[in-house]
Amino acid sequence: MKKILIVDDDPNIVDYLVTLFEDNGYATCSAGNAQDGFEMAKQEVPDLITLDLEMPGEWGPRFYRKMSEEKNLKNIPVVVITGFSGSEHAIGKAVASLTKPFDRGELLAIVKEYV
Amino acid sequence: MATEILLIDKDKSHANALAVYLERQQFEVYKVDSCDAAMTYFDNLSAEIVLADPGLPDTDTVHLLKQIKSSHPGIQLILMCADDSLDQAMDLLKQDVVHYLVKPVKSAALDLALKQARTWISMNNKMDRYEKKFKEMRNAQVLYQQLFDEVPCYISVQDREFRLTATNRLFKRDFGDEIGSYCYEVYKHRGSPCNNCPVAATFEDGLPHPTEEIVTSKSGKQYNVLTWTAPIRNVDGEVTQVMEMSTNITRLRQLQDHLTSLGLMIGSMSHGVKGMLTALDGGIYQLETGLARQDEKRITKAFEQVQQMTGRIRKMVLEILYYAKSRELSYKPVDITKMAEKVFGDAKAIADKNGVVLEADIAGDLGFVEVDSNWMQAALVNFMENAVDACTYDQSKQDHKVSFKVFDPGNNRICFIIEDNGMGMDRETREKMFTLFFTSKGSQGTGLGLFIANRVIQQHGGTIKVESELQKGTRFKICLPRKKPEQPLQVDDPGEWANNLIDDGKGNA
Repeated sequence: MKKILIVDDDPNIVDYLVTLFEDNGYATCSAGNAQDGFEMAKQEVPDLITLDLEMPGEWGPRFYRKMSEEKNLKNIPVVVITGFSGSEHAIGKAVASLTKPFDRGELLAIVKEYV
Repeated sequence: MATEILLIDKDKSHANALAVYLERQQFEVYKVDSCDAAMTYFDNLSAEIVLADPGLPDTDTVHLLKQIKSSHPGIQLILMCADDSLDQAMDLLKQDVVHYLVKPVKSAALDLALKQARTWISMNNKMDRYEKKFKEMRNAQVLYQQLFDEVPCYISVQDREFRLTATNRLFKRDFGDEIGSYCYEVYKHRGSPCNNCPVAATFEDGLPHPTEEIVTSKSGKQYNVLTWTAPIRNVDGEVTQVMEMSTNITRLRQLQDHLTSLGLMIGSMSHGVKGMLTALDGGIYQLETGLARQDEKRITKAFEQVQQMTGRIRKMVLEILYYAKSRELSYKPVDITKMAEKVFGDAKAIADKNGVVLEADIAGDLGFVEVDSNWMQAALVNFMENAVDACTYDQSKQDHKVSFKVFDPGNNRICFIIEDNGMGMDRETREKMFTLFFTSKGSQGTGLGLFIANRVIQQHGGTIKVESELQKGTRFKICLPRKKPEQPLQVDDPGEWANNLIDDGKGNA
């Protein structure tokens, strides 16, 4: 089963994404901030990561930079899910960027394409 | 224009002969042969030269001449008399006379005397003109000094070493009046000239230069000033000094800062709204799929989430509406025990969810209080929610407790105490917590809650007392009068709030 890591500081949104992905046949793991997310990524080596940009402590772009420096993490596709419109391109190498509130059909299509 | 000559001579025929000679030389001649005749002429005297025979030893004419000279000092007197009376004439008239001629008058001597008289006249006229001009200049100088002093800007004039050589009144008021001190010392409390000095630039190229600076007054206040310089040149066109004119734009900058932070806050608020909408989507999705699968557990969880999100969105929208429009409160007598229990119930749901213990101590029969129960409840719940949040965010201890106490302190008042053992507030948070858009909760807060709660309490004529210590907790004591205020209390409405921003820097002008 393919695994998706969800990094978002809003527990309600994490819960939403976990349910959505599990309903569609993916395994999930999640983290509420960038530091935990990075640890989780190293430990679980997921097949895809959804990343919020604005979180307390480290922000999404910093997480991404740290992640791309890790050999076995740098090729994992990242989907940015952010509340900031206009910051979709904050992470240039992200495979897709969605703004909240996102369309879940669109998200599932993107995930299906990259996993 | 012909020069007028008054000719006084008792010898008519001699006078006639002189007149013919003078008229031939383009003078306009008036002849009189006695003092009486001269007197009538004297009243509207316009002559510039008087040519007279004093007719000594009779001294009437001498007195007349003295009189003329004292009332018309510009008139030039030329005297002609017999050789034997010349000494007496000189004795009597002295330097009132420009020239003494001996009768019979020689034409060369007369010409010379007339020429000298005319020179004196033109010199006198010149002097008069200069005097008039000088007076005008002095008046202008006073006027310019006044303008210089009263201009509502700081003006200083500086030499090449940036020493102040002149300053206006406003400058003296805010920066002192020490002539000869250095500009950078007075304005910036620095020991050396500033980089990019506009005065130096103007000395260099003779052109005006603008900058914006932050300067410090003698009382230590910081002002934002917009500065323009202008060269002051000497007669040879060299720049010898530079005038620096600074307009105080502190209030403008303050307003701009406030507007900037307002923009940021609204930005972060919209971020919060987006998060809530996404979470609401999540709830709806789970409700949908839960219903499809007949998954009771999922339905319950989803329903709770939808409820929570709708509640949060509702609250935020209400807060925004309240801020957008200041509204009248509708007072009704409310059973305060019942209202307190309702508030407790609302807060309990939130506290339970966050694992915070909530205790109530609500006296049994507190009677009635005139309040707008909707807004008062919302305000109290807001204080309770903040207490719960303060506990949730606090990582320094495990067990958290919020207590809610309602009692009658007498004096026709009712008191609420909301106390938590959460994270507490630092000084900045304490000072700013009632400020519009101030939040310590990042994207989770709107910065509207306590701002509005505070206003609602104030509108009811109530008071709020806060005690807080970092990591120890916070205690709010809210007291309300039982009767509504006689006159509706004017608590700053949004418009007034904006005005307050402008008035913030009182005395900054």
